[in-house]
Amino acid sequence: MSLLRAQGLTAGYGPVTVLNAIDLEVNEGEIVVILGANGAGKTTTMRAVSGTIPRSGVVEFDGHDISRTSPDAIVRHGLAQVPQGRGTFPELSVEDNLRAGAITRRDGAGAVAADLQRWFEQFPRLAERRSQRAGSLSGGEQQMLAIARALMSRPKLLLCDEPSLGLAPLITKELFEVIERLNAQEGLSVLLVEQNANLAMHMASRVYLLETGRIVASGSAAELSADDTIRKAYLGF
Amino acid sequence: MELFLQRLADGLSQGSVYALMALGLVIIYRGTGHLNFAQGEMALFCTYVVYQCGEWGIPIGLALPIGMVVGFALGAVTEVALIRPVAKKSPFAVFIVTLGLFQFLNWLDGAIWRDQPLPNSGVGSVQQQFPSLFPSKDTDFITIFGADIKLQSVGVFVLVLALTGALFLLFNKTKLGLAMNAVASNAESAKLVGIRTNMVLMVSWGIATAIGALGGVVFAGINHNVNLTLMFTVFIYGSAAATLGGFDSPGGAVLGGLIIGVIENMAAGYADEWVGQQLKVGVAFVVIVVVLLVKPSGLFGTAKVERV
Repeated sequence: MSLLRAQGLTAGYGPVTVLNAIDLEVNEGEIVVILGANGAGKTTTMRAVSGTIPRSGVVEFDGHDISRTSPDAIVRHGLAQVPQGRGTFPELSVEDNLRAGAITRRDGAGAVAADLQRWFEQFPRLAERRSQRAGSLSGGEQQMLAIARALMSRPKLLLCDEPSLGLAPLITKELFEVIERLNAQEGLSVLLVEQNANLAMHMASRVYLLETGRIVASGSAAELSADDTIRKAYLGF
Repeated sequence: MELFLQRLADGLSQGSVYALMALGLVIIYRGTGHLNFAQGEMALFCTYVVYQCGEWGIPIGLALPIGMVVGFALGAVTEVALIRPVAKKSPFAVFIVTLGLFQFLNWLDGAIWRDQPLPNSGVGSVQQQFPSLFPSKDTDFITIFGADIKLQSVGVFVLVLALTGALFLLFNKTKLGLAMNAVASNAESAKLVGIRTNMVLMVSWGIATAIGALGGVVFAGINHNVNLTLMFTVFIYGSAAATLGGFDSPGGAVLGGLIIGVIENMAAGYADEWVGQQLKVGVAFVVIVVVLLVKPSGLFGTAKVERV
């Protein structure tokens, strides 16, 4: 069943149209990866879905039409975004960052505290720094914090914008493992944007190839790797 | 020694008013990064409302909460109707709008509560009698180490401490406070965790103006009157206090206010022929300049820390 469906999604900045009527779908339990070069419109796609930039077209999420919904209301529907460049609250402590992630929840302080504990166990480095200001964390730690913060809202769909950006390969691998595990164990659906094709292809249920604001190919990871032209042009192997 | 203690007490109660003004400035600045030049005049409008309640026979204890509710509404409406639409265009425009609001409110006060010929000089100002929140007759004082400390000073000081405590709880223990801190830190990300940033900003302006109203009422009570120039210097001192404490630190704002109140009274008292009553405001400017030169983020402000 489709959890997220975008049809004719068009978006840009001021007079510049970056995204040209793309169609996109994420089914429940899927990890969908959007690949593309710099400037292809990957981040714009994420922003258009989460409503942080003006857009046109139809976006449906979990049975709701969210085409005109404000970003904060979209989060309350169960769609959380990890923005590019992490976007933590630098002046707030690690713990307050996570609490802010849970601010939309209505299931009581006990449940929030339990989740807090859970992510501290998942990311021990965050636990060590729970009272430190987020701005003083390293890049990898901030990326973990941003993902944990998004998960604190108990989303149905997680949007991840280039989680590997600026991270050491080992940490990236670790992050992707966490995402895969959440997907496998709890059925968390993920829409992931990546430049690092090799890594992302491994865990993708399906892949979209984005080129200058258009989707030029889509299919399972295996299908796309099998296509010689695509493989050479986008995957580099 | 007695004189010193009395000046200290006077300074602390004066400083309490500056602290309230600075708190309002800081709460708005944290949320939006704007310096609200109309803060003093918004407070004055509410003070006049409280004065009007008194004219209608409502006791000050009841009129004060009314004034603060009016303040909350005034702040919230200002944010939604004036600041938000303009802020989308340019931050500089907000500066102009708050300056305009400053002028407008002062004119409005004059139009409603009778005019005065020279609004900026205070000459010929219609000074309306204003009741004090605390006992303020000449006989209402307590004696500590031989110094006569006015009950009013004690009351004002305790009031500000209580408010500071309440705000501390708000910012550190409530969801609203967490949302306000998050918006202050990174408004874009605040939206992405589902915080209604517009609501938070509206409430911030409301709270800031309600606190301003309290400051205006307290200050009018200390002076026993309300007039159109009442808040001019208070605003300047309040800005100095916020600069000293750090523009993003509520606790710093309070401490900054108290320090400036004490410095002002000590300077005017001890360096009488040098500073005196006329040049007192200069003290605020000296503080602002020195702080900006030595520690631009203020005593408790956060210098931006960010690892990339």
